[in-house]
Amino acid sequence: MDDRTETTSSPERSQGPSSEEFAGLSPDSLREALRRMLLIRAFEEQAEQLYFQGLIHGTMHLSIGQEGSAVGSIWALRPEDYILSTHRGHGHSIAKGAKPALMMAEFLAKETGYCRGRGGSMHIADVETGNLGANGIVGGGIPLAAGVGVSIQMQKLDRVVMVFFGDGAANEGAFHESLNLASIWDLPVIYLCENNQYAMSMSVRRSMNIQDISQRACAYGIPGVSVDGNDFLAVYRAAKEAVDRARRGEGPTLIEAKTYRWKGHSRSDKQRYRTKEEVQEWQARDPIRRLAERMMAQGWLDQASFQALQEDVAREIQEAVAFAMESPEPDPATILEGVYA
Amino acid sequence: MATPVIMPKFGMAQEEGTVIRWLKQEGDRVEKGDVLLEVMTDKVDMEVEAQASGILQGIRVGPGETVPVTTVLAYILEPGEALPQEATPAARTQAPAPAEETAKPPAVKASPVARRMAAEQGIDLARLTGSGPGGRITKEDVLAAAQAADQAPDSSPEPGRVRATPAARRLAREAGIPLDGIPGSGPRGRIQARDVERHLAALAASAEPEAQPIPGPGARPERAAPLTGMRRTIARRLTHSWQSIPHVTFTASVDMRQAEALRQRLKPDVEARGARFTPTVLLALAVARLLPRHPRLNAWLQAEGDELLLTQHSQVNLGVAVALDDGLIVPVIHGAEELGLAALAQRIGDLSQRARRGDLQPQEVMDGTFTISNLGMFPVDHFTALINPPQVAILAVGRARMQPVWDGEGFQPAPVLQLTLSADHRAVDGAVAAAFLADLKAVLEEPARLLL
Amino acid sequence: MSRELTYAQAIREAIALAMERDDRVFLFGEDVGIYGGAFGVTDGLLDRFGPERVRDTPISEAVLAGVATGAAMTGMRPILEIQFMDFITLSMEQLVLQAAKLRFMLGGKVNIPFVLRTPAGAGTGAAAQHSESLENWFVHVPGIKVVMPSTPADAKGLLLGAIEDPNPVIFVEHKLLYRHKGPVPEGYTPIPLSQTQVKREGADLTIVATSLMVLRALEAAETLAQEGIQVEVVDPRTLKPLDEQPIIDSVKKTGRVLIVHEACKTGGYGGELAAIIAGSEAFDYLDAPIRRLAGLDMPVPYNRELERRMVPQVEDIVDAARKLVREGI
Repeated sequence: MDDRTETTSSPERSQGPSSEEFAGLSPDSLREALRRMLLIRAFEEQAEQLYFQGLIHGTMHLSIGQEGSAVGSIWALRPEDYILSTHRGHGHSIAKGAKPALMMAEFLAKETGYCRGRGGSMHIADVETGNLGANGIVGGGIPLAAGVGVSIQMQKLDRVVMVFFGDGAANEGAFHESLNLASIWDLPVIYLCENNQYAMSMSVRRSMNIQDISQRACAYGIPGVSVDGNDFLAVYRAAKEAVDRARRGEGPTLIEAKTYRWKGHSRSDKQRYRTKEEVQEWQARDPIRRLAERMMAQGWLDQASFQALQEDVAREIQEAVAFAMESPEPDPATILEGVYA
Repeated sequence: MATPVIMPKFGMAQEEGTVIRWLKQEGDRVEKGDVLLEVMTDKVDMEVEAQASGILQGIRVGPGETVPVTTVLAYILEPGEALPQEATPAARTQAPAPAEETAKPPAVKASPVARRMAAEQGIDLARLTGSGPGGRITKEDVLAAAQAADQAPDSSPEPGRVRATPAARRLAREAGIPLDGIPGSGPRGRIQARDVERHLAALAASAEPEAQPIPGPGARPERAAPLTGMRRTIARRLTHSWQSIPHVTFTASVDMRQAEALRQRLKPDVEARGARFTPTVLLALAVARLLPRHPRLNAWLQAEGDELLLTQHSQVNLGVAVALDDGLIVPVIHGAEELGLAALAQRIGDLSQRARRGDLQPQEVMDGTFTISNLGMFPVDHFTALINPPQVAILAVGRARMQPVWDGEGFQPAPVLQLTLSADHRAVDGAVAAAFLADLKAVLEEPARLLL
Repeated sequence: MSRELTYAQAIREAIALAMERDDRVFLFGEDVGIYGGAFGVTDGLLDRFGPERVRDTPISEAVLAGVATGAAMTGMRPILEIQFMDFITLSMEQLVLQAAKLRFMLGGKVNIPFVLRTPAGAGTGAAAQHSESLENWFVHVPGIKVVMPSTPADAKGLLLGAIEDPNPVIFVEHKLLYRHKGPVPEGYTPIPLSQTQVKREGADLTIVATSLMVLRALEAAETLAQEGIQVEVVDPRTLKPLDEQPIIDSVKKTGRVLIVHEACKTGGYGGELAAIIAGSEAFDYLDAPIRRLAGLDMPVPYNRELERRMVPQVEDIVDAARKLVREGI
């Protein structure tokens, strides 16, 4: 994803008057971001299909509707920067550059998957792109991020670590311990909370006494900001600022991206805790459509090219599925591999 | 009150008995005095009577099993009463491992019975206080300890299951021997490795190299059958005797002319008293009268811990061996030195008859102090008999054969008898044995000397 | 040439040697810096290596375990001190669900090389929440290694070995051993993990013991030798992964085994050892039941005598050994 790398490390002045509006991102970069969001959505929809067909077992947590916060935040990172993600982490992985084919293979529990079929959906990782893994424990990555931060600091690397988590994780003790530690040691951590309003069935209105999770930042003396998670550019801006701060050694930031998941928590969710109206209301704020419309308004995209992007993405996903289907299962003789180094 | 039915001790030297058959069964109502079972002790069958009335329960020793005397065989319970909680029923044993006599002398003073019972019950003698003389641990002490000891709730294994450690099993397996019958010194009679090792050492010491006869081309396979009953008892006894007593033998040839002449002269008188005057009777008389002058030969030698105790008897309890169909039995004439010829002849005749009928009382085969074994009715010139412990000597008598005997001037034909005395060399030296034989020869060759 | 160091000094020396040798090694935990460690083990290291490499932390066991894991995943070799093993309970999620499993879940594509050092054990009157021995909890988690040194030499060597090991290692120290002196070799002398050691030879009885109980077993062996009972004392040192063969060989030789550990008997490491022995070729050489001597199943009491009685003492080991050898029970 060289295109994007160039763009983010040295923001190109875009043509036209609205470069500020687009946070310094070039049309190519934006197009790539849009494609990335489409890829995530197509991937998720395809994964859902495979699950319904019984080809993916276990459970899955889809991030359809949250593509804006995933791509927007990660667009502020360099390839060598680290991310730690959640159980709802397919989008983060793809945003960070993971190949759909290897992800699909992992979902189908094949040897060729990112985790050799041992991890599955909730534990997808792509260490080479700095993706230290989705995590099945709510808030599980938050303490790990502090450790990565210490590591970066001590090795004097020009890197940052962005840890994703949801509104539910913000109530875990580990969240508080991690923010506190990062704050006293000025760790280069960006705490990216994707508040999709619900921790499984628990609404944020019932689970916390504050309006915005970003308010918790002040308890640790660090900057906190809430943004519209379905606005790619808003997310990008906030993330970029936090990343720059961290790179300068000024310590952690807490960003709250308010968003919404279109699908239930997992495949077995009957969604008794929210109304159809609410879902539809949020679907109207589709991050992909919003970015596409803004780009079209600038003349950087038209229907045809948008269509072409969608078809391209669809093709990529089809190839990914084919690859995964044809891949072999792990050899049972290797069952104990990976337990110990 | 539960009344134990125990293996009775009928004689001073008896240490164990074998159950032959139960005449009453588990759960039967019995009255005091009823015969409950038959046992065999020292080759004599005995009946065991009920000492109380009640229900016979808890039979734990079956036919063919040998247990030490005073072992509980069963209980007589009052209706509704439960069996008493006991430590462990006595382990069934076979031949006392001869190596026990030659094993390293233990430090604790205990009677042999007590020692054996303790080993079988898994009781450490070192933990007991002896109530016997000199603090010796007796079988009563061991019994009391066994009753008191409350070991694990799960009691005896099912009949047929042997308790042994894995190490013991392996050793037995590797040696190709069964675990049955190896006395266990571990808790609750568990067979430990050292028990198997000891047993193997004993076997090695006693066994002839087992050469399985390789059947030739025309050989028919024979069936091997175990020795049972009296034969088995005899086998054990003889093994014990052979292995633990250093036998030394002395032979003397006796000119029996005068003895024979005397016998012929007195025969009618003796027979008039209802007895037969056999050569054995005369020999018995001579031996019985002479032994009090040779008390070292009329004695018992018994092991007591690491000591050997010699008991010299003033009374002569003379055993006279009687051949049976499938064995040998030695009825004993107690106080033989006091009996006149006729009386002695009567006794010998009566005992021999009853012996052949299997009609002897236990006390009639017990407490012998010397044994005569006469094979003179067969063409056996001379043989060596094995001593019956705890006795220290046995006299084997061969056939009288016509031999030329030097009388100072020429050779005369005379019936010559060979007497072979086997003696326990631990108690009897050559001189002692020779002196006795000299006396005996002199008396037989000149019976008048008995008056001296 | 070896000189005598205390167990605590030996550990300190190991940390210092490792930190000198490898920049990636760093030490953190509560009170490890300025205070020098609650038991004085890390005294002086802050001055020597500076605050970046010797980090005092807030009381946050959960994130501390996460820091160890996250840092180890990304190229560092952390040494985390959890002040009392009791508090490891606050780190359980990060240790059991992350540190132990991430390598496996990620298809073997990361290593997580850190050492978590923690003082355990009763005997200081610190009562139930400061006296735990939880090593068997971690023996039960695949992906983690568990080490319990019993002597100063083992403490130094095994800590160096643990730091070199590419896996997460729980290094359990015993509070009562910190002042214990013993010969310790000079220089950088790592002992590889998973090497059981026979600490004393004998033909009559095998005693397998861990941590402080090794020393008590050795003392008991001296007493028993005077009674003619020759005891072989075997120290696994690494509980997981266990080097089984020397234990099996020893039991084959003696035919009797007594397992001694401080942690309470039920669910303790002794059960694991007993099953291993009974299921091995040593089975056919057993001449007595396998016996365990362990802590009573109870929280550690405050009262000193009760605390003493809860844990196997030298006399208890002597008694149990005698019974096993002389009576076979």
